[in-house]
Amino acid sequence: MRRESPPPSAEAALLSLGNISKSFGALKVLDDISFNVARGETVCLLGPSGSGKSTLLRCINWLERPDAGRVLLDGQPIGVSSGGVVMGDRELSLLRTRIGMVFQHFALWPHLTVLQNVMEAPLHVQKRPKAEVRDEAEALLQRVGLLQKKDVFPARLSGGQKQRVGIARALAMKPALLLFDEPTSALDPELVGEVLAVMRDLARDGMTMVVVTHEMAFAREAASRIVFLDKGSIVETGPPEAFFSAPSTERARQFLLRYASAPTAAAAAIVNA
Amino acid sequence: MHDFGVVWGQRGLLFSGLANTVVLSVVSAVCALALGALLAPLLMARAKAPAFAARSFVDAMRCTPFLLFAYIVYYGLPSLGINFDNWQAGLAALVLYNTAYMAEILRGAWAVQPVQPIEAAHAFGFSGFRLFRRIVLPPLLLSAGPVLGNQTIQIVKDSAFLTIIALPELTHAASSIQSRFYVPFAAFISAVLLYWLLCLVVEAGVAAVGRMAEARR
Amino acid sequence: MSWGDVVAILQGAVTTLTLSAIGILLGLPIGLGLALIRWSRLPLASPLVAVYVSLLRATPLVTLLLLLFFALPNVGIPVGPIEAGVISLTMNTSAFNCEVWRAALMDFPKDQLEAAQSMGMRRGLRFRRIVLPQLVKVSLPGLINEMSLLIKVTPVLAVVGVVDVTRAAVRIGAESYEPLPPFFVAIAIYLPIVFALVSLQRFVERRHAGGAFA
Repeated sequence: MRRESPPPSAEAALLSLGNISKSFGALKVLDDISFNVARGETVCLLGPSGSGKSTLLRCINWLERPDAGRVLLDGQPIGVSSGGVVMGDRELSLLRTRIGMVFQHFALWPHLTVLQNVMEAPLHVQKRPKAEVRDEAEALLQRVGLLQKKDVFPARLSGGQKQRVGIARALAMKPALLLFDEPTSALDPELVGEVLAVMRDLARDGMTMVVVTHEMAFAREAASRIVFLDKGSIVETGPPEAFFSAPSTERARQFLLRYASAPTAAAAAIVNA
Repeated sequence: MHDFGVVWGQRGLLFSGLANTVVLSVVSAVCALALGALLAPLLMARAKAPAFAARSFVDAMRCTPFLLFAYIVYYGLPSLGINFDNWQAGLAALVLYNTAYMAEILRGAWAVQPVQPIEAAHAFGFSGFRLFRRIVLPPLLLSAGPVLGNQTIQIVKDSAFLTIIALPELTHAASSIQSRFYVPFAAFISAVLLYWLLCLVVEAGVAAVGRMAEARR
Repeated sequence: MSWGDVVAILQGAVTTLTLSAIGILLGLPIGLGLALIRWSRLPLASPLVAVYVSLLRATPLVTLLLLLFFALPNVGIPVGPIEAGVISLTMNTSAFNCEVWRAALMDFPKDQLEAAQSMGMRRGLRFRRIVLPQLVKVSLPGLINEMSLLIKVTPVLAVVGVVDVTRAAVRIGAESYEPLPPFFVAIAIYLPIVFALVSLQRFVERRHAGGAFA
């Protein structure tokens, strides 16, 4: 169901992070982080609060600007060109069309309907023909189970529905890589399952995903690799079975004791589905 | 900037204009606030006649340009037998006009006041004027601080309109320096900077009230 | 007061409304431009705009008008009463509009912008399609309030000789030794216009009472 994979080399990887560091003032949030993600992998970033997981994720598409290090998507640098020049808005925007992002608080555009939200970027950024964009948008909404809500405004949707629209919206750009920033943390427990189900299907279909999450059952079931961060460094990485049943570091063990004791009911439901 | 030297030479006139502006504004603001506090309960009264009268007055003042109102008070009232000099007319216009605004501000602040502390005060035996002064008024003023500050700044600026009835306030002083010495830029810029100073003083006051409010939130 | 007098006041009203309209139409985009400069925090421009807006908001319109009317010709820019009037109205209202737009910009949810950024929308596109439509909705009550305030200060134009409602009323009152009736006509003209704007503002506020940026 999910492929356990060894970390790829930088050349073969779809996404390559090298020596990423970032500080907010005096606080060093990311300390010399490097890892690679191969095509089709689902990597889950786990760690306690304050470990830097979200900041690391946001450095991938340069929503946060790393103080040091490089980000390569399919060999192409993001943020700083090969000449060492920091990229401007235009160049960065072009690269960002290849990376999709799903946000913790959904970030849907409230003045647009569900369908318009999904169509907005393909239409106005990728400038694809309207009929084609509409057909694909409807297909995506169908895929996440929300086609019947296409003319509704986001304010009328539940949290779980909003997040599924958020996923459809990110997919509409046909990205090579999907980033998830704690996609279910803002949801009521009974709505978590519907979103995780969509994510699990995406992983199965071979989408390359990097997911920051606290849903341990999901990580265990759907991830092809776990990257465990603590205090800004990668402490441990490996296949989920190995990480969850026999963590090799003490810090990972402490973390699992605290967090992985009781999977949420919804997550358990998918695991058993 | 020789012109500014000329203005500096006339600083007595300018500062006396400033003083008049301050006096006008402060007196009007305080009186308008006091009268507005009396009018506000009428605005919220359940009895239809007083509520309607109060509402009509407030809406009329809110929709009337102050300069026109000042003209009416100064030029129009004599034909009714009331003879005001320009100081009295200016003060009357400012106070009457802003009473309506102050009443509206207090009404708005009252509408968002929590009711439990007042109920508690009743339970403890507070009533009448003591209830009003010690329990109702302080939180009301604290919460309305910024808006009242804004209105005070508005009063300062409206006082400048009174130059039309030859009240010797700041703009009038700048105007007369300008017309006598042909230094329009220097004279009016000096006035503008002084108005700005007044505004900053009021805003500092509002900030202080805001800090008091925060400490009690 | 004769009918001729009433007509004269009405003609003044046309002048008042025309100049108000120009001030409003110019003040809206200029205010937005100033707000964007402040929001973008450009190194030199942003603090300059902050000082400019603070000064203009503290300055009485009559003082600004007299300054422009007398000082500009002195430095070689010939302005008549109407030009001085329009410029001062526009400067004044654009400064207040700037604060209205800026309050809405500061309230704008960052994550909607990040979502747009993450999909490769460039700055101009983000502003046009995501920020502006919502910004207008949220700013509308404040902007309408500013419009009603602008109309209420237009009598100041009379001070420099523009023949608006107020000046017409004053002239007729002086000629006929009956100052009150023309003033009442003038108020009868202002009241419904301002009242209409205030009602419009209340209507817009009620319609969007359910949360600004959702």
